[in-house]
Parts: sequence; C-alpha cells; structure tokens
Amino acid sequence: MDGDAGTQAARLERLETELALLKNQLHGLGGVEGMNAALVKPAAGQEDRLSLIVFSGSLDRLIAAFVLATGAAAMGMKVSMFFTFWGTSALRRDAQVKKSLLERMFGWMLPKGVAKLPLSQMNMGGGGPMMIRYIMKKKGVASVEEMMGIAAELGVEVNICTMSMDLLGMKEPEMVEYPGLAYCGVAKFLETAAPGKITMFV
Amino acid sequence: MQTLDARGKSCPLPIVLTAKAVKQMSVGDDLTIFADDRAFLPDIEAWCKKTGHELRGTQSKDGYFEAIVRRRA
Repeated sequence: MDGDAGTQAARLERLETELALLKNQLHGLGGVEGMNAALVKPAAGQEDRLSLIVFSGSLDRLIAAFVLATGAAAMGMKVSMFFTFWGTSALRRDAQVKKSLLERMFGWMLPKGVAKLPLSQMNMGGGGPMMIRYIMKKKGVASVEEMMGIAAELGVEVNICTMSMDLLGMKEPEMVEYPGLAYCGVAKFLETAAPGKITMFV
Repeated sequence: MQTLDARGKSCPLPIVLTAKAVKQMSVGDDLTIFADDRAFLPDIEAWCKKTGHELRGTQSKDGYFEAIVRRRA
C-alpha cells in the first residue's frame, strides 16, 4: 500500500510538472482559436534540427561540417548551415566582380572556393589538401563538392553572413549557386537555432 | 529484391545513399545494403533507430557487411 501511495504521489507530481509546462507553452496562444491558428512552437532544444555555424575556412573543417550536415539530413533532421568569416571563402567561385582596392586585395588573399582551401594543419604549402583529396578519393569518401551537391538534394539550408561578406569584400555575384541560398545576420541564426536539438560551431 | 551496393564508399555516403534509396521505396519493401565501411554497422543501426525504419538484420560477410532495412512509414 505504501508503495502504491509513493508511486501515485510521484506520478501526480510528474503530471503536474508536465501540465505546468504545457500551460506555459499554450499561454499567449489565446483560446481554442489561438491553438488552432498557431503551430505549437517546440520548446527549446526540441526541434529535430541541426544548426551549424561554419566559421572556419580550412578544408578539413569544411569536410567535417558537410559530413555532419549530410549525415543529419540523411537521418531525417532539418539542417541549417550558417557560413561566416573564413567559412564564406568556401562558398566563393571564380567570378569577376567590381570591387574597391581593399576588397580586391582581400579577394586575392582569400581562397576562391572549396577547391582552394588550405588545411588547418599540415598544409605544406598546398601539398596537404592535395594529399587529403587523393586519400579521400581512394577511400571512397565523398569530396566536399560532392557533399555540397548531396546537401542540396537533401534540402540542407545554406545561409551566408552578410557582415562577413562586407568585411572580406565579397559580393553576391561571386558566391556559388545553391538552391535557396540566403543571406542573413546573427538574428536569423539565433532564431533558427534556438529551438533545435543540436547546434555546433565549426 | 532491392539492393544498394555501397562498398568502396565511406561515411557519410552509405547512410546518405540508404536514405535516398528508402525514400524511393514503398512501405513494407526491403532494401539489402552492402558496405565495407567499418562505421556501417553502428551507423545503419543508429539510422534505423532515428528514422523509425526497421533493421531486419545484419551480417558480416567476407570483407563486407550486409544489412536489410524495411521501410516503415
């Protein structure tokens, strides 16, 4: 009998906690109409989404970012990538764009796209990336270019930080073509990532 | 019997190709996957757990692995 009372009390407490949580979520949605109109927003950390900030511009980190993104997408998660700072280099392509002198200098100094990215270690003047790509091919690992294609097919969202582009002198016409490619600021990232289960900085 | 030969391919390809193949299948169909990536066995188990599709069985063969996945919903 004691056991029953204890279990019942525990159950009651659990139910009360859940009720309070639910009430909190519904608060502000108004009456029945409100409930139907608004899609109930998942509580923080509940949406099945992976959000990735890609800050790095090295090939090894880009590989990791895209393995994570495509893997998550293959598992049915929603995926959002936000490219900022050195990561924006990975989304460049070779294109002639009007720029100021300082912007052009940055343009020369920064890699033009994935094929030109250095490794974060053992770069060996460009030998490192060559070796890694060779081994990846041999071992049947998809190249970053292939993974970007897969990401596009699987609906991975790609966003670019406009502030980074301004700092590094990049322009929209020189960024790669990607379905739904969007430009945004930090608020978009935070709003997207806040309800998601996994958020990472690469 | 639908098969997917992912031998010679490394993570994330075996799982990505599996996801794509299963999407094309009808509910209740089985897909037999061959892969030699060492990560494949734990990965396909995790993939099934996450996506809700059924892992019918796995086998270690000579130099590769075989897994059968049934599409649920």
